[in-house]
Amino acid sequence: MIRFENVTKRYALTANPALDDVSLEIERGEFAFVVGKSGSGKSTLMRVALREQLASEGTVMVAGHDLAAMSSRQVPRLRREMGAVFQDFRLLPGKTVTQNVAFALQVIGKPRHVIRSLVPETLDMVGLADKGKRLPHELSGGEQQRVAIARAVVNKPQILLADEPTGNLDPATSLDIVHLLDRINRAGTTIVMATHDSAIVNAMRRRVIELHEGRVIRDVADGSYDPALTPDEARPDVADVTWEPEANEDIDPAAGYEGGA
Amino acid sequence: MRLGFLLGEIWTGLRRNLSMAISVILVTMVSVFLLGLGMLAQRQADTMKGYWYDRIQVSIYLCTDGAPQPNCNEQAVTDAQKDTIARQLKEMPEVDTVFEEDAQQAFDRFKEQFRNSPIADTVQVGDIPESFRVKLKDPTKFAVVSSQFEGAPGVASVQDQEKVLRKFFQIINGVTVFALGLAALMAVCAGLLMATTIRQAAFVRRREISIMRLVGASSWTIRMPFLIEMLIVAMVGVALAVLMLWGAIQVIFNLGVNQVALSQAWIGTSDVLVVAPWLFGGVALVALLTSLLTLRRYLRV
Repeated sequence: MIRFENVTKRYALTANPALDDVSLEIERGEFAFVVGKSGSGKSTLMRVALREQLASEGTVMVAGHDLAAMSSRQVPRLRREMGAVFQDFRLLPGKTVTQNVAFALQVIGKPRHVIRSLVPETLDMVGLADKGKRLPHELSGGEQQRVAIARAVVNKPQILLADEPTGNLDPATSLDIVHLLDRINRAGTTIVMATHDSAIVNAMRRRVIELHEGRVIRDVADGSYDPALTPDEARPDVADVTWEPEANEDIDPAAGYEGGA
Repeated sequence: MRLGFLLGEIWTGLRRNLSMAISVILVTMVSVFLLGLGMLAQRQADTMKGYWYDRIQVSIYLCTDGAPQPNCNEQAVTDAQKDTIARQLKEMPEVDTVFEEDAQQAFDRFKEQFRNSPIADTVQVGDIPESFRVKLKDPTKFAVVSSQFEGAPGVASVQDQEKVLRKFFQIINGVTVFALGLAALMAVCAGLLMATTIRQAAFVRRREISIMRLVGASSWTIRMPFLIEMLIVAMVGVALAVLMLWGAIQVIFNLGVNQVALSQAWIGTSDVLVVAPWLFGGVALVALLTSLLTLRRYLRV
C-alpha cells in the first residue's frame, strides 16, 4: 500500500537530511506506528507520503502511484484515496460539525444525496451523531479530533495518515482516539500513525517503525516503544549516535489539554 | 462541485474580504471610466473627422441683405461680384476645388447640422449667407486666399474652418491622450490591487484551501471561487463605470452642447453602448489573467 525505497529528503540549507535512505513497506490493512523523538523525521515521512513534499532521492509508491512520476494534476486523485489527521485538528471554525465533514465531499463534487447519507453515517461511527450542529469551539479536544477523523474517512479512503493525532489530548482521550483508529483499521483502512506517545504504542502492540535522525532504526511487528532506550539498545547496529531523553517539544502547552489539565 | 456550494463559498469569500472587494470595484470603476472617456473622445474625433473630411477648408461668406460687415454696405452680393470671385478663385494655383453654396443649400445644411437643436427652428432661408467653399491643395496656404478676398466687393468674411477644427481636434486628442494615460496608470493599479486582493483572500481562506488540498479537491475547484469572485467584483466596477460614462455623455452632449454648438457630429449615448462590450471584455480578460497568474503562484496543489 505504501512503499518507500531508499528515500532521502533534504531540505534546503540544512546539513542533515530529514529522511536518510529510508526503506519500508506497509501492507494493505496494516496499522503501523511511526515513532521517534521530535525532529526524527516522522512528520516529513507523512508529508512525503501525502505528496505534500517530494522525496529528494528514492521511490515512494502509495496506493499504486509512483509519487515522483505523478503530475500535479493527478495529485487530487491520490489524496482522495487517503485521509489525514493532525495534532491541531484543522477544522473550519465557522462551520458546524456536519458542515466540516460535508466540506470534504462537497469540494470533490459528490452529489448531495451521497453527502446526506455518508456524513451522518460517519459521524455516528466516530460517536458524534448528536453533535452535528455544534461548532468546533463548542467541542472538547477529543471531540474535535473525532470530527477531523470523520472528515478524513468520510470518503472511505484506503489509507489514513495520522500525524501526532493525540499530541494535544490527555492520556485517556488519546487512548479513545487510538481505539477509534483501531476500529477504522479493522474495517479495512490502512493506518499509519506518527506519535511519540509510548503509552499508546505499548497499549496497542502493533507494528512499530522507529526513526532516529531520519533513519529507520527499528521496525518490529507487535512492538513497543520506550523513548528512554538508546538507539544502541533499540537496535544494536546503530551505535554511533547520542540519544537524549524525549523532550516532548511537539506539544504546544498553549493549545491545552482536554479535561481541565 | 455543485453550483449552490460554489455560490455559497463565493458569497462567504466576498463578505469576509469586503473592504478589498470594494476597493477593487472603485479602482476598476475609475480606470474603466477614464479608459472609456478616452475611447469616446477618440470616437468623437473620428465622427467629426468623418463629417468634415473632404469638406471645405476655407469658406468665403458673401454679403446678404443687411449684413453687418462694413464691407457689404448692407447690400447683398451681386451676380457680377460672384462671377468675379468665382473666376479669381479658379485662376489661383493654390485652389483645388470650389463649391458654391447658395442660400437654400446653406439653410438645408444648417437645418441638418442642428437637427437636434432648437436653434434650427428659428432660422429662415437667407439667414445663412451664401458662400464659396474652397478646398486648397495645401491647407496651410489659407493666408493667400484670405488676403486676396478679405474686403473684396461682395465678401462678408473669410473663414478657415480647418483652423477651427484643427484646434478642436487638438483638444480632443489632448483629452484622449490624457484620459488614456491616466487609464493606463489606473489599469496597473487595478491589476496590482486585484493580485493583492486575491493573495489576501487566499490568506484569509488558507485553512479551507489546505483542507481542500488535503481531501483531494482539484486545483480548479480551489481556484474557481477566487476567479469568479474577482470577475464579479471587476464586472461591478465596469458596470458602474459604464453608467458614469452614460451619465457624462448625457450631461455633456445631449443636454449641454447641442444647445449651443455648431455641428451635428456629436457622439451620443449609443456610442457608450458600442464601447461598453470592449470595456467589459477587456476588464474580464485582465481580471482572469491576473487571477490565474496570482493563483498559480499562491495556490499550488
